[in-house]
Amino acid sequence: MTDTKQNASGSNGTSLLVDRLSLFYSGQKALHEISLEIPRKQATAFIGPSGCGKSTLLRCFNRMNDLIDGVETTGRILLDGTDINSKEVDVAQLRRLVGMVFQRPNPFPKTIYENVAYGLRLQDTLPKTEMDERVEWALRSAALWDEAKDRLKESALSLSGGQQQRLVIARAIAIKPSVLLLDEPASALDPISTLKIEELIHQLKTEYTIVIVTHNMQQAARVSDYTAFLYLGELIEFGKTDTLFTNPKERQTEDYITGRYG
Amino acid sequence: MTPHPHISEQFDHELDQARNRLMEMGGKVEQQLKNACKALTNHDLELAETIKTGDRSINQLEVDLDELCVQIIARRQPAASDLRTLVSVMKASTDLERIGDEAKRIAKMAIAISRLTYPRDQYTDIRKLVALVMAQVSATLDAFARLDVDKAIGLIRYDAEIDDAYDAIVRDRAVQMKEMANNPEGIEQTLHVLWAARALERIGDHAKNISEVVVFLVRGEDIRDRALAAKLTGG
Repeated sequence: MTDTKQNASGSNGTSLLVDRLSLFYSGQKALHEISLEIPRKQATAFIGPSGCGKSTLLRCFNRMNDLIDGVETTGRILLDGTDINSKEVDVAQLRRLVGMVFQRPNPFPKTIYENVAYGLRLQDTLPKTEMDERVEWALRSAALWDEAKDRLKESALSLSGGQQQRLVIARAIAIKPSVLLLDEPASALDPISTLKIEELIHQLKTEYTIVIVTHNMQQAARVSDYTAFLYLGELIEFGKTDTLFTNPKERQTEDYITGRYG
Repeated sequence: MTPHPHISEQFDHELDQARNRLMEMGGKVEQQLKNACKALTNHDLELAETIKTGDRSINQLEVDLDELCVQIIARRQPAASDLRTLVSVMKASTDLERIGDEAKRIAKMAIAISRLTYPRDQYTDIRKLVALVMAQVSATLDAFARLDVDKAIGLIRYDAEIDDAYDAIVRDRAVQMKEMANNPEGIEQTLHVLWAARALERIGDHAKNISEVVVFLVRGEDIRDRALAAKLTGG
């Protein structure tokens, strides 16, 4: 059912390896023995109906679920070969490597510049010129530089929703993570801003491993190289996006992506 | 495996409409082909003359069907089997329209022959080819309607029989023409018959294309290259 071979053959190897991962909310099983390999420097989309576990799975990758009481997991997640749940792993360090962007843009009530510099300051004391360079680099990478360069000292909250979302992405990549998790990054945005985010994903995946959760199937089809379909906490099908959207193997996938009653 | 209905009933209705219109077009093409062949072998000028009008309505059906499919694609952004259905309907309609064109060509030959002073021909070989081609076209439409992959694959192989029958006609008629040195009208008629035979052979190719579309529709596999490779290697 799960086609992991396709992914292992990705030219850049595996970034995140999920091995028989189960997750329980207060004993209630929410993810069932999920195994998949997320290829490095590619975009992987998780799709499925509400409550299927796609966001829960995404949140396992930077241990966001640690913040919820009563959550337990079994199985393993390896990031570049390291078990992210092992005792030696520092969660703060893990989250520097695995950045996350949410549905609603959440810039800090600070200037545009400070939003991007914030994570860097926690990590490093860079000289002013180097800091300026890094902020510019991150804003350029997030395709926001041209719109923001003349207003770096203005409040981030003065930006539009779409710009705020790109600012949050700039903030996430400023610290040069390995993986970028995007949880419905465009669902609160208008169509033009959505297309800008999608275009950005195309550019970012040359440098980062992207994992995106989306309700918008066309969006998954447009931006991702691989797609995983989850249903009721199970991984139903995982494969190349090209194949999954034209000729899925599983009936349940077919019904979901074509908008049928399962 | 019948698909579950869509959450949007209207979408089901639209896809049904596309499929039904293709079948309607298929029925008309079949009728045109039948009439054209009958006009040819019966020297029926009147029947041959009706083919032109019939062909115009087939061309219009293809244009309308394309427009319907483009509309559905634009509005619904179909995926998986829905997408394959619409792409297949569009492809099959192109081949059906071309079969219509070939029927028109046969009618043209029928008209040319019926204007000869002494048309003499038993058409035994042509009747055999007509029977093969008509059977293939009708079975192909049936395979499309029932989404019958096994039948479609059988029909792809069946095309070789049509090719053989056509080759035999060309060979035999070439021999006959050598004996027609003092019968220029006989040569003229034979040439018209050969053009009609060529049109029938082409119809077989278009029917084969439609069978390949059926395999794509049902399995999501494009077998055109493989069919070609099998032919080249005699498989």
